[in-house]
Amino acid sequence: MRAKLTALLAVCTLTASLLTGCGSNEETPASTETGTQEAGGETGEAAAPAASDLKIAIVCDASGQNDNGYNQSAVEGAKECADTMGVEYKVVEPTESIGNTLSILAEDGYNLIFSMEYDFDALVNGEAGAAPIAEQYPDTTFVVFNATPNLDEAGNTIHDNVISVLYNVNESSYLAGALAVLVNENADVLLGDGYDLTSTEEARALGFIGATDSDGITVFGVGFVEGAQHVAQELGVTYDYYAKYDAGFADTAGGSTVAGTYYGNGANVVYTVAGAVGDGVASKAKEVKKLAIHVDANKDGQQPGYIMTSVIKNTKVVVKTLAQAYTDGTIGDMENIQVYDLASGATSITDLATFSAALETTDEAKAKWEEITAYLADLEAKIGDGTIKVTNKQNGDSFDEASCPNINFK
Amino acid sequence: MQLLESILYDCVYHSAPIILCVLGGMFAYKANVLNIALEGMMLNGAFVSILTYYFTGNMFVTLLLTVGSTLLYGVIFAFLGVTMKGNVIIIGLAVNMISTAVAGFVLVLMNSANIILENFDLNALKINIPLIGKIPIVGSILSGHPVITYISFLMIFLMYMLMYHTKFGIYVRVVGESEEAAKAIGLHTDFYKYAAILIGAVGCAFGGMNLSLERLGLFTNDMVAGRGFIAIAAIYCGQGKPVQSAIYAVLFGLSRSLAVNLSVYAGNAAGLFDCFPYILMIAVLAAASYVKHKNVKVRGF
Repeated sequence: MRAKLTALLAVCTLTASLLTGCGSNEETPASTETGTQEAGGETGEAAAPAASDLKIAIVCDASGQNDNGYNQSAVEGAKECADTMGVEYKVVEPTESIGNTLSILAEDGYNLIFSMEYDFDALVNGEAGAAPIAEQYPDTTFVVFNATPNLDEAGNTIHDNVISVLYNVNESSYLAGALAVLVNENADVLLGDGYDLTSTEEARALGFIGATDSDGITVFGVGFVEGAQHVAQELGVTYDYYAKYDAGFADTAGGSTVAGTYYGNGANVVYTVAGAVGDGVASKAKEVKKLAIHVDANKDGQQPGYIMTSVIKNTKVVVKTLAQAYTDGTIGDMENIQVYDLASGATSITDLATFSAALETTDEAKAKWEEITAYLADLEAKIGDGTIKVTNKQNGDSFDEASCPNINFK
Repeated sequence: MQLLESILYDCVYHSAPIILCVLGGMFAYKANVLNIALEGMMLNGAFVSILTYYFTGNMFVTLLLTVGSTLLYGVIFAFLGVTMKGNVIIIGLAVNMISTAVAGFVLVLMNSANIILENFDLNALKINIPLIGKIPIVGSILSGHPVITYISFLMIFLMYMLMYHTKFGIYVRVVGESEEAAKAIGLHTDFYKYAAILIGAVGCAFGGMNLSLERLGLFTNDMVAGRGFIAIAAIYCGQGKPVQSAIYAVLFGLSRSLAVNLSVYAGNAAGLFDCFPYILMIAVLAAASYVKHKNVKVRGF
C-alpha cells in the first residue's frame, strides 16, 4: 500500500514536471563537462582565399537547425557568408544553458554570435552572480531576436555590443488578413472542385490560433485582423473572428480539432501562430478542404493548395546584413535595435506560387487573381511609405477592438 | 444542434487514444508494475506509424512495425523492471525520454521538423455508417470515425472479459495483489508481469497510430502532449477497472472537446475546461484514499 502511494506520488510529480515542460523552451541541466556541448556543432570553413577575421556562431533554439524555418534560415545565411566572404562559422544546438554556450563561443573567438533562443538573462543581466556575458566579452557582438532585453528601465541601451532584432510581423500578417478576405470573397471564381468552402451567403468568418497569450503572439493576430478589417470595410461586409490564444506549441491533434471547430462554424481561413500546432491545422484544412495560413517559413508546400500562404520571419537576411556590416567595420555604428519591416524583405508573406498553382485556370479566375495580387502589392507599398499604420503589439502599441467595426470578435 | 454534434464527435476523437492507453496500461497496474512509460510508448506508436507509412505506403507493414517497435520498448521495460528488478519509475521515465529522443534524432537525419504524408486522404480512413450516420446526435458519435477509434471502444468490453472472465486475467490480478501467494500456487509471476506490460505496449501503439496516422496524417515530436500521463491518472481513478477507467478517459476527452468547441463562444475562458479533468481526478483520488484510510480496521501508521 505504502509502496503504491509512493509510486503514485512520484507519478504525480513527474506528470506535473513533464506536462509543464511540454510547451516551454528547453532547460537542460548544465553538464559538468563544458566541452561536450560543442559535439552537436558543425564547423564550416570556407575555402575562399579572402579569409576574414570574422567568425560567426549561430546558437539555435529548441527547434534545432533543421526546423525548415527560423533557425535553418539563419544557418543558410551563415553558409552563404562563408561562401561569399570567406568567414568561418559554427552552428550550435545547445545542450546546456544558453549562457554557458555563449561564453564558450565568445572565449573561442567567435566575434559575431547570433542567439536564436528566447533567453537573454545571462547575456544582458548575468546569471548566478556572474557578470553579464556581454560585459565580459566587450569585443564580441551578440545578436538576439524578437525582444529588446538590452534596455534598462529608462529605455537606454545597457550594452553596446548587443543588437536586438525585431520583425514587424504585424505588417506581414496584415497582408495575410487582407488576402484571406479577398480570397474568401472571390472563392467561387478562384477555387475549383477541390475545395469545400462555406459560401459568403451563409457565413463570413476567420480563425486565429495562437500558442500563448503574449505580445509576441498577439502581434500576429492583431495585424491579421486589421488587414481583414481593411478589406472588409472596403467591401462593406462584416466578418466573425474566432481566436484562441492558449493552444501551446506541441499538441498538434488539439490544434487540429480547434481548427475543425472554426471551419465548422463557417470560417474558411484559419491562421495559426503556434509552431508544430500549425501542421495539425494545415492537415485539418486539407481534410475539410478549406484554407490555412502558416507561419515562420515558407510552408506552403506542406499541404499544397490548402495552405494559402505563410508569414515569414527570414533570419537569413539578418545574418547576412550584420555579417556584411561587421566586415565593413560599420557594425559599431548601427542602432542597437534593428527593426526589419515589410519593406526590408525579412518579413513578408510568401510569393503565393504554390497557392496560385492550385487555383482555377479560367480567364476570369486569372484576371481576379491578378487583381488580388496587384491589390496586395499596393497595400505593401502603402505600409512601406507609412500611409497605412499597423498596430504593433510587440512595441507596446495597444489595440482596441472598436477600431475594427467590420470584425465581429467572438 | 450542430454544436452538440461537434462536441460529441470531438469527444470521441480525443477519448479514443487515451482509452487504448488506459486499457493497455491497467493490466500493468493490476499486476503491480506501474507502467509510466505509456506516454513514450504512445509517442513511439505515433512516430513509427507515420515513418513507416511515409516510406512504404503500406498499411499492413505500418501496423506490423508500429506494434513491433512498441513491443520492443515494452520488452526493454519489462526486462529491466521485472527480470532485473529495477525501479520501474526510473525505467519508465527513461523509456519516455528515449522515445522522444529517437524520434527527434530521426527527424534530424531526415532534415525536417515533422513528417507529413502527402497525398494521404484522411477522409478515406473514416468509416461512414450508412443509416446510422444520418441520425442526428447519435450519428456524430457512431459514424465518421477511423477504424482504430471503433476498436478502442470495442476493446473496453473485450478487456473487461479478459480481466474478469479468463484465467489469465485472474492470474494477473493475483500476481498484483499478492506475489507470494501467486508463487505459492506455482504461477510464473514474471510471465504475467511481462504479459501485462506488453498488452500495455500494444494499446499504446494503437493509441499513437490513431492520434497521428488516422487523425492527422503527420507526426511532430511531442505531439502526444501528456496523453499517456492522463491515461495513468485515469487508470488510478478507475482503480484499474476497465469500464470505470475508460469512463475517466472519456471524461478527459469530453473536457477537451468542450474546451475546443466552446472557445468559439467563450474565447479564452473555454480553456478552463482543460483544467476540469485534472481537478476532478484530484478530487476522486483524494476521496478514494480517504475512504480507504477510514475503512482500515487494523491499527497502524
